[in-house]
Amino acid sequence: METRDFKRLKVLDKLQWFFDRMGVNYSVMRKILQVKMIMDERRVPTIFNQNKKKDGTVKKESNGFIKSLWVYLLMSLFLLPFIFLGGNYLFQMSLIFGIIMFMVMTTMVSDFSTVLLDIRDKNILYTRPIDRKTINMAKNVHVMFYLLLLTAALVGIPVLAGLFRHGAIFFLITVIELILLNMFIVVITALIYMAILKFFDGEKLKDIINYVQIILSLSIMVGYQVVVRSYELVNLDIVFIPKWWHLFIPPIWFAAPYEMFLNHVFSPTMVVLSVFAVLIPIASFLLYLRLIPSFEKSLEKLSALQAQKEKKRGKIGESLLKLICRDQTERASFCFAGIMMKTERDFKLRVYPSLGFSIVIPFILFFNQIASQPFAETAASNLYLSIYFAMIVIPSVVLMLSFSGKYKGAWIFQVIPVQNMEMIISGTLKAFLVRLYVPIYVLLSVIFAAIFGVRIIPDLVIVFLTSCLYTLICFLFRKITMPFSEPFEAAKESDSWYIFGLMLIILPFFGLHYLSLYLPFGKYLYMIVLAVALVFGWRWAIGLKLKNVRV
Amino acid sequence: MSEEVLSIRNLRKNFGEKEVLKGVDLDVYRGQIIGYIGPNGAGKSTTVKILLGLEGDYSGEIKIFGRDISNGDISYKKKIGYVPEMADVYDNLTGYEYLTFVGELYGLNHDLVEYKAKGLMDLFGIGEVFHTRIASYSKGMRQKLLIISSLLHNPELLFLDEPINGLDANSVMVFKEILAELAAQGKTIFYSSHIMDVVEKISSRIVLLNDGQIVADGSFAELQKKQGGTLEEIFNQLTGFHNHEEIGRRFVSLVQEV
Repeated sequence: METRDFKRLKVLDKLQWFFDRMGVNYSVMRKILQVKMIMDERRVPTIFNQNKKKDGTVKKESNGFIKSLWVYLLMSLFLLPFIFLGGNYLFQMSLIFGIIMFMVMTTMVSDFSTVLLDIRDKNILYTRPIDRKTINMAKNVHVMFYLLLLTAALVGIPVLAGLFRHGAIFFLITVIELILLNMFIVVITALIYMAILKFFDGEKLKDIINYVQIILSLSIMVGYQVVVRSYELVNLDIVFIPKWWHLFIPPIWFAAPYEMFLNHVFSPTMVVLSVFAVLIPIASFLLYLRLIPSFEKSLEKLSALQAQKEKKRGKIGESLLKLICRDQTERASFCFAGIMMKTERDFKLRVYPSLGFSIVIPFILFFNQIASQPFAETAASNLYLSIYFAMIVIPSVVLMLSFSGKYKGAWIFQVIPVQNMEMIISGTLKAFLVRLYVPIYVLLSVIFAAIFGVRIIPDLVIVFLTSCLYTLICFLFRKITMPFSEPFEAAKESDSWYIFGLMLIILPFFGLHYLSLYLPFGKYLYMIVLAVALVFGWRWAIGLKLKNVRV
Repeated sequence: MSEEVLSIRNLRKNFGEKEVLKGVDLDVYRGQIIGYIGPNGAGKSTTVKILLGLEGDYSGEIKIFGRDISNGDISYKKKIGYVPEMADVYDNLTGYEYLTFVGELYGLNHDLVEYKAKGLMDLFGIGEVFHTRIASYSKGMRQKLLIISSLLHNPELLFLDEPINGLDANSVMVFKEILAELAAQGKTIFYSSHIMDVVEKISSRIVLLNDGQIVADGSFAELQKKQGGTLEEIFNQLTGFHNHEEIGRRFVSLVQEV
């Protein structure tokens, strides 16, 4: 069978003379790149993880990353207004470069950390007769190739628009700067990895990468909501007075040359900033080349082992735990699920962005209102009920509790005679509420109470009780499995309709709460009803559901 | 004869068209260490998985601790410990978190499991990674963790599948002592492995499975009396494998063609 060849490599073949001159063994490098690209096709980029192929059938392999470029292309349209509006370059271009840097860098960390940090290279390639120079060049070409595609997708349209709007000089500056920026980003990323590895071990680094992935997913979800609204807020007449701390903000360096060459502002600050834009990326790249050996050395720490200190539960934690979970199996399951939610990276990547989303969405809703009416009016209104939107995260997370990237570990449930499954499920649901939902909800409540006053505290309690009850309801509508025992790929397309359907159940709760506001003592009555339903319903409902399944 | 721990009668199992177990009969008594051996694909792991309830749809009768396991009562598993080959664990947990979780699922008190787990890991020389994530463990450490997790609840019957995989020579010696001591305390051990000299030394009884059937059953001395030679040679003879020399020779000659 013929190994797949790539068009991109055929393009690269044209540059063979360059690599030969560098002393790189081109045919070996080409082989390495070919294998790496085949592996890339079997990886799913962060942006796509929500709709990963789910039916389990083997589709034709195609590079997920290249497909994800469409998303970036779409996002690039949001940059257009900043290109078209006015000639306040320092401000506009800092904003644009800020966005580009953020997007490229987070994508770099989330999707190419595997390229930069592949320790398999060490065992597989370094043991073979290939010189280091060739291996490093292969790595760099590999990263550069994707970075090139990514920036092209992200800025292609805006740059062309700029060419028409601002002329050829604008275009030229942009192209040169983008190359510098990309170099800078590769170096910065590598240096950050190095710094992290210097102080922590590989597990910590993987955690940090995981958080960057979460932030990327979240900012894309929120980005669409915010960006569109932000055009109104951005004041393009803003007068930009250079301050000394601007020297430390890279996007401003990159914006300075526009101001210099297009607006003819040759103030010392502009010159210094522009020089920074050119010199610092080049200097950091040279530094990086010298640091590569120590980078490789620090990569060894990726798989190294650090003994960790014991983390003991305090007395208070212990008694709280006993209060929340009376039963021992329930407690064990509560702790287990809590740790899984905290440390299982696949799970976090799928669940945390939507948790973040549920913090943001209630605000997006009433910021519109705040903009259009006086603050006192908002504070006196019933708008705090938008906190119900925090609940939309519950159905998908409850569904996700069945899944895990480490699902294979679930054999343990079968070997151990788990007789009170009820307690396992109850513990898992409680872990979700306590470990994931409560922190978010408390944060939201504090902010809401600050805006709307302490008068809404009873309402906040009602919404929290409703959330607990709603979690239970979501569980009742779900297929029963052991927690964390199925691969994410087993999640079905139909699940999203399911989740949507479950979200509709929030409406009657919202309605009841709203009605209760118009009755004297209505909300306290409602609160008691909810509390009673929760206390008596919890075990009964879980037990009932399990019984139905066994029959 | 001492107490019967496990009895299998005419156990058969199909995977699709293929018959993997073709009528296995076996009686195991308290305190025995059974060396359960056989070539790849003979049905060893399948037998163990059926015994543990990980595989269903078999025919025949299996009694563990005198009770039929097909009646849906899974409480017999409380007295079983299992070390699977190539086991996946929730490796984002720390050793402490994993072991206490497993112990508590067996119904042990949290403090007791913690005390036992810590002590056992210390004795196995991996106490310092008690609070480290399993993902960063070496192969040997992982294996030790699995062994400990199978013993936390003081089981009566142990199923071990290549348990010494990845352990260093010193740890293997410790482990052999542990097995001998467990058997002396009346525990029953089912030991599957491909490492014949270890099986030969530790087993009080050897059961050889070939193509879904038991082809030899007895102590090593008894087998030797019948067949002669080392366990490895007995294994070769009984599984009808003679051409290893020729295959070896041809393999090397192909290697030399450059």
